[in-house]
Amino acid sequence: MIKKYFTILLILLISLHVSAQVWVVPAENEGKKSPFAFSDSTRKAGADIYVSNCKSCHGDPGKNNVIQLVPIPPDPASAKMQANSDGALQYKLIQGRGTMPSFKNTLAPTDLWRVISYIRGFNEKYVQEIAKNTTGNVGSLQNSQIVLTWISESHQIQATVSGLKDKTIQPVSGAEVKLFAQRYFGNLLIDEARNTDAHGAAAFNFPIDLPGDSAGFVKLIARLSNEEAFGEVKTESNMSIGVPTYRAPLNEQRAMWNVLEKTPIWLMLAYILTVLGAWAFIVYVILQIRAISKAGSKT
Amino acid sequence: MASEVNTDFLNNKKLDSIAADILKPVGISQGFIIWMGFLGISLMGCIYAYYIQWDKGLIVTGLRDYISWGMYIANFVFFVATSLVGMLISSVLGLIGFKWVKPIARIAEIIAVAFAAIAGLVIVSDMGRPERLPYVFLHGRIQSPIIWDVTVVTTYLAISTLLYFLPLIPDLAIAKGRIGHTPKWLQKTYEILSVNWKHTPEQYAILLKAMRILLILIIPTAFAIHTVTSWLFAVTLRPGWDSSIFGPYFLVGAFVAGSAAVVIMMYFVRTNYKLDKYLTTHHFDMMGKLLVLVSIVYLYFNINEYLVPAFKMKTADAVHLTDLFVGEYAWMFWSVQLLGLIIPIILLLFRFFRKPFAMFVISTVVLIASWFKRFLIVVPTQDHPFLPIQHVPKAWMVYQPTIVETAITFGTILLAVIIITILVKFFPVIPIWEMAEEHHESDHTTQE
Repeated sequence: MIKKYFTILLILLISLHVSAQVWVVPAENEGKKSPFAFSDSTRKAGADIYVSNCKSCHGDPGKNNVIQLVPIPPDPASAKMQANSDGALQYKLIQGRGTMPSFKNTLAPTDLWRVISYIRGFNEKYVQEIAKNTTGNVGSLQNSQIVLTWISESHQIQATVSGLKDKTIQPVSGAEVKLFAQRYFGNLLIDEARNTDAHGAAAFNFPIDLPGDSAGFVKLIARLSNEEAFGEVKTESNMSIGVPTYRAPLNEQRAMWNVLEKTPIWLMLAYILTVLGAWAFIVYVILQIRAISKAGSKT
Repeated sequence: MASEVNTDFLNNKKLDSIAADILKPVGISQGFIIWMGFLGISLMGCIYAYYIQWDKGLIVTGLRDYISWGMYIANFVFFVATSLVGMLISSVLGLIGFKWVKPIARIAEIIAVAFAAIAGLVIVSDMGRPERLPYVFLHGRIQSPIIWDVTVVTTYLAISTLLYFLPLIPDLAIAKGRIGHTPKWLQKTYEILSVNWKHTPEQYAILLKAMRILLILIIPTAFAIHTVTSWLFAVTLRPGWDSSIFGPYFLVGAFVAGSAAVVIMMYFVRTNYKLDKYLTTHHFDMMGKLLVLVSIVYLYFNINEYLVPAFKMKTADAVHLTDLFVGEYAWMFWSVQLLGLIIPIILLLFRFFRKPFAMFVISTVVLIASWFKRFLIVVPTQDHPFLPIQHVPKAWMVYQPTIVETAITFGTILLAVIIITILVKFFPVIPIWEMAEEHHESDHTTQE
C-alpha cells in the first residue's frame, strides 16, 4: 500500500520537476522581433550590457563557465539557449524566473534587443528577421520627444509627447508612456503605464514619500513603450520632488570599521589604558634593576 | 617571602657544589662549536631562500588570492603558542607554590623569550613588502586585532625577557669568580649584567618584589597574547574560524605545545650537561602529569570545536568538516589528533612512560603534531570561502607550500634554536641561588 503511494508521489514529483523545467512563452511574445537589424555596433553595445548584467551567472558565452545554480543557467552560446526565438529570449529577459531576475524595469527594450543581438553573435546559423514597422497615426510622426513637467497642486508629473509631421510639431496621442525613478539597481516604475490623450499628455501620480537625495532630487526617466513604432524615445530629468534624505555614510561616525581617528572611544580608552598600565609596571621593574645596582654600591 | 630572605646559604658548601655542577658546562666547547656551525650553515641556506623571496616577492611561495595565510601564519601561531609555557610554569605553578618547578623555570623562560622574539620575525616573513613594516605602527588602526597582536607580543617579549634576566642577576654574581675557564669577554659580560649584586638583604627584597610584579603581570599578558592571536581568526565569519571558544582553545593548545618543548629541552640539558641531579626523574614525572593534564583539557576543547558544528553540519561548515574528517586533509587531521593528543594521553597515564627518554620521544611527537595542528587551523578554512571560487587559474585553488617557503619556515625554527643554544650555553641554565636556598631549607628541616 505504502509502496503504491510512494510510486504516485514519485511520479507527481517527477512531473512537477519536468513542468518546472519548461519555460512556456506565450504565442504573441514568441513571435516578437527586433525593430532594428543586428550589426557589429549593436553586438558591441550588447556585450557591454551583458558583462555588467548577465556574465556573473551565465559566464563567458561559449566557455561554459556558468555559475553552478539550480537550475544551471545555460551558456548563451549553447544550443539550448539558441533554440529560443528572438521573442522568446526577450520574454524571458523581461519576465525572469527563480534566480534569473526580471530585467523589465532594469534594461530598456532597446537594450534587451542589443543583448539578444550579442547572444546571436555566437550562432553562425542565425538569420535575423526584423519586425515590420507598425503603421498608423502614431507611426507617421518623426523625431518624437517627451517633455516632463511637475504639477505641484495634484502632485503629478505630466509627460507631453510630440513629434514632427509635415514640418510642424504635433502632439502624439495614444502612445504608451512609462515613467521611472532611477535607483541604485534598475528603475522604479512610477504609477503605471499611461496612454497620451489628444493633447499628447499623460499624467502620473507621484508618491509623496519617495526619498530623493539630500536636496530632494529624483532622477526621472520617461520612455515610449512602442519602440517598433517610435524607435528609442526617452527623456531624463532631475527634479527636486522627492523627500530630502540624508543618509550618513557608514564611515562618518566612530566605528570599528573606520579610520584610526574615528576609533570608538571605549576601544581607544581600553587599548591605551591597558598598554600604559602594563608598560608602567615594566618600566617600574626596569628601574628596580637600577635600584639593585645602587643598593650594591652602599656596602 | 620577600621580607625574610635567608642569605646565610651563600657561605654554604652546598652552594659551591651546586655552582660547580651548573657552571661546568658554561663556555665554549668543541661540541658547541660543531653544533653552532651546523645550525649556522643550515641557516645560511634558509637566509638565501629569504633573499629569493625578498627579491621576487611572495610569488615564490604557494600563497595566492584565496589561500593567503599558509605555512607562515601557521608557524606564527605555533611560535606564539610555544612561548606561552613561560607563563604557565614560572608564574602559575610557581605562585601556587609548587617547589619542583624551580629548576625548570629558567628553561621555560628561555623558551618563552626565544619563541616570542622569533614570532615577530615570522610575521615579517609573511610580508611581501617587508620594508613597509613601519607602516603597521604609523598607520595601524587600533580597531584591528592585528595591532592588538603586535602590541601584546611586544609586551609579552619584554616581560619574558625581564623574567629571564631578573632571577639570573644573583647567579651571575655567584658565577663571577667561578668561571675562570670561560673566555674573558664572557666574564666581562657577567660583571656588567650582575649589576653590582652583593647578596644584601635589601637587594633580595627589591629583586623579589620586582619578580613578583612580573609573575602576576605576565598572566593577563599571556592570556591576552594567545587570545588575541585566536581572534585574528575568530573575528572573521568563516567556517572553522567562526567560533566562540577559540581563545581558550588556543590557550590550552599552547600549553600542550609549550610543555612538550620544555620536556625536550629538559632532556637535552640533562643528558648533555650531566645535570640529572637537578633535573631528576621526578621532574620528568611531574612534567608528564602536567602534559597529560593540559592534553586532556585540550582534547575536551577539540571535541567541542569539532563535534558541535559536525552535529549541525551547516552548509559551509559541512564542506569544511568533511574535508578535515574524510577529505583532502583527513590524513593530517587524524594523525594530529591521534599522535599529538589521544595516544600521548593514554601513554602518559602510566608512570612507565613518564620516564625521561620516553617523555622526550612523546614530547617530540606532540610538538611536531602541534605544528601541524596550527596548519590545520589556518589553511583548510581558506579553501572554502562562502562565495564559490571561479574564473581563476587552477593553482589558486589549491595551496601547495613551495621549497622556498618551507626553507624560510625552517629558518625561523633554526633561529629559535640558536637563541636557546646561546642562552643555555653562556649562562647558568638552572637557578643556582634558588636551588641553594631550597637545599639549605631542606637541610634545616632534616637537622631539626
